[in-house]
Amino acid sequence: MQSQESRRIAAPLARRVGAAADAAQIAAAIFAIWEEVDDALTPVIGSQGVVALFQRSVHLAAASHPWLTAERDGIQPLMQPASLRAAIALQSSTDAAAGGSAFLQTFYELLSSLIGPSLTERLLRAAWTHSSNGTPAQDSTP
Amino acid sequence: MTNKVTINRLSTGVPGLDEVLGGGLPEFSFNLIAGPPGCGKTTLAHQMMFALATPERPAIFFTVLGEPPLKMLRYQQQFDFFDSEAVNRSVRFINLSEEAMAGDLDRVLRRIIEEVAAHSPGLVFVDSFRSVVFASATAANPKNNLQQFVQQLGMLMTSWQATTFLIGEYFTEADANPVFTVADGLIWLRQSVHRNSMVRKIEIMKMRGQATLPGLHTFRISRAGIEVFAPAEFAVGGGVASKAARLTPRLSMGEARLDGMLGGGLPRGYSLLVAGPSGSGKSILAAAFLAEGARCGETGVIAAFEQHPSRSPNRVVADLIASGQVGLVDRRAADLSIDEVVHLLMQEIHRLKATRVVIDSLSGFELALAPTFREDFRESLARLVTALAGTGVTVLMTSELEDRYIDLRFSPYGTAFMTDAIIVQRYIEVDSRLLRVMAVVKVRASAHSDQLREFSIDANGLHVGEMLPDQEGLLGGRPTRKRSDDLPAGIADANDGKKA
Repeated sequence: MQSQESRRIAAPLARRVGAAADAAQIAAAIFAIWEEVDDALTPVIGSQGVVALFQRSVHLAAASHPWLTAERDGIQPLMQPASLRAAIALQSSTDAAAGGSAFLQTFYELLSSLIGPSLTERLLRAAWTHSSNGTPAQDSTP
Repeated sequence: MTNKVTINRLSTGVPGLDEVLGGGLPEFSFNLIAGPPGCGKTTLAHQMMFALATPERPAIFFTVLGEPPLKMLRYQQQFDFFDSEAVNRSVRFINLSEEAMAGDLDRVLRRIIEEVAAHSPGLVFVDSFRSVVFASATAANPKNNLQQFVQQLGMLMTSWQATTFLIGEYFTEADANPVFTVADGLIWLRQSVHRNSMVRKIEIMKMRGQATLPGLHTFRISRAGIEVFAPAEFAVGGGVASKAARLTPRLSMGEARLDGMLGGGLPRGYSLLVAGPSGSGKSILAAAFLAEGARCGETGVIAAFEQHPSRSPNRVVADLIASGQVGLVDRRAADLSIDEVVHLLMQEIHRLKATRVVIDSLSGFELALAPTFREDFRESLARLVTALAGTGVTVLMTSELEDRYIDLRFSPYGTAFMTDAIIVQRYIEVDSRLLRVMAVVKVRASAHSDQLREFSIDANGLHVGEMLPDQEGLLGGRPTRKRSDDLPAGIADANDGKKA
């Protein structure tokens, strides 16, 4: 589903990540967007519901980016967002951007397929608007 | 001036429910929606929530355990009332599964209070409440805990000026559940399965401070959501009667001789029962009644339970329906109730400002009903006739009647006493032919003919002929020719002439 909604996901990501970002910055940007998505959804569907969607999205995105589910340096990206972030940071910046946005896009599409595009858009609007307008996320990890 | 508090009544947005509740839902009340799985509790809650919630009076829908919220959102948005744009604006969904799973009711309560304090909702829903109960059962002292929880919740929500709904499954209403005592309102949803039909019913077991309509009321769930069919008396609306009053006092049946037999047409607002055996021409008489109305600029409604009107060999009704002069009520569902039929009839009557209504036939109607309603068909039919009379329309009902030649019966349901006028049709055998005769048996408070008239049916409809004065014993089905010397002179001559 290469829908408008899906493209809308790519835009804030590109804006946050910027052109010259390295893999760690990309990972931080994706993680920041994810946290906002998590904040928006957890109250509604519960943290377990969000985790289940997260894992399914990583699994689906791994079809085109196998490294997303590959264990590397003891990190299993499928298990939790923090390990996904670590896994993204280990890639080349091209792979990191492609795999990271594929994950977010897949997540959005998965949620849309379950509760419809309009409710998905409605629930994630705050997170997305914030992502689009906010200042690019900085990697705060030392 | 009164110093007593005025309790606002909220309009629930569920068609028919406000009537059953006795005028809407009391504001700040603490209510339970209970019933077995799949009976429509969550749907009812959502429908009321989307109807009542505004940015000024927002709603919080707490999901506890049970149905995962993702699925609830997935299925509930199929209903027309579900408005995605309202989510996070006037409607907020909050999941309490973590608090509930811990089995600590205090934690659940604390979280509810936090959210209520944060968002000041005017409406609070907790779905499903039963899972809160289950979760608490694992705690050391379940009963006390639960009662405390409900009592606190009830008190707090009222103080926070929130109209509250606990949604849950409860096995038996006889169960001395402390929740029932605390609640201001108890809305019970049921499904009764009878053979292969399932009928949904709603009962307001309790609603403090107002008189609800007692008993079970049928409802239906469609794409539009829940629609409750309040009893017929309450489905009555004004408007038609006043219009009818300006029209002629008597209606033509579309057959001048029949009008004559009725004493100058059927008095307006009357209910007429046309009884007769299969094929005797009841539906054709009904069609003529509607066609005559259309000719006089009146509109009508037909509830067809017999042959499908558009497939009827008689094109009259099909054409009237196609031209919009007659509305059609043609509901075929396994769970049909009389109240629903009345509701549909009323809708059509009001939509078309109809003055003539046909129910063809009562026998088909009874068969169309869900089996569970057939037991009290007579009572329900009386309600239907009363409700229709209340609108001022003139009603023609047909009734299949087995030809019995040993007694004179008008209807298998004892419906005769409910109607204001009765026409009976029957077959007789004369000269090895089946002839039809009809008679006006009753027209309340009016003079009418006592003649048994022969009538015929052709492509142009029904034609009333003459009496058969040379025959006697017509009601026995096998009349015998009177002896010539018994007949008036002219007829005896005519008979002799025919014979020759």
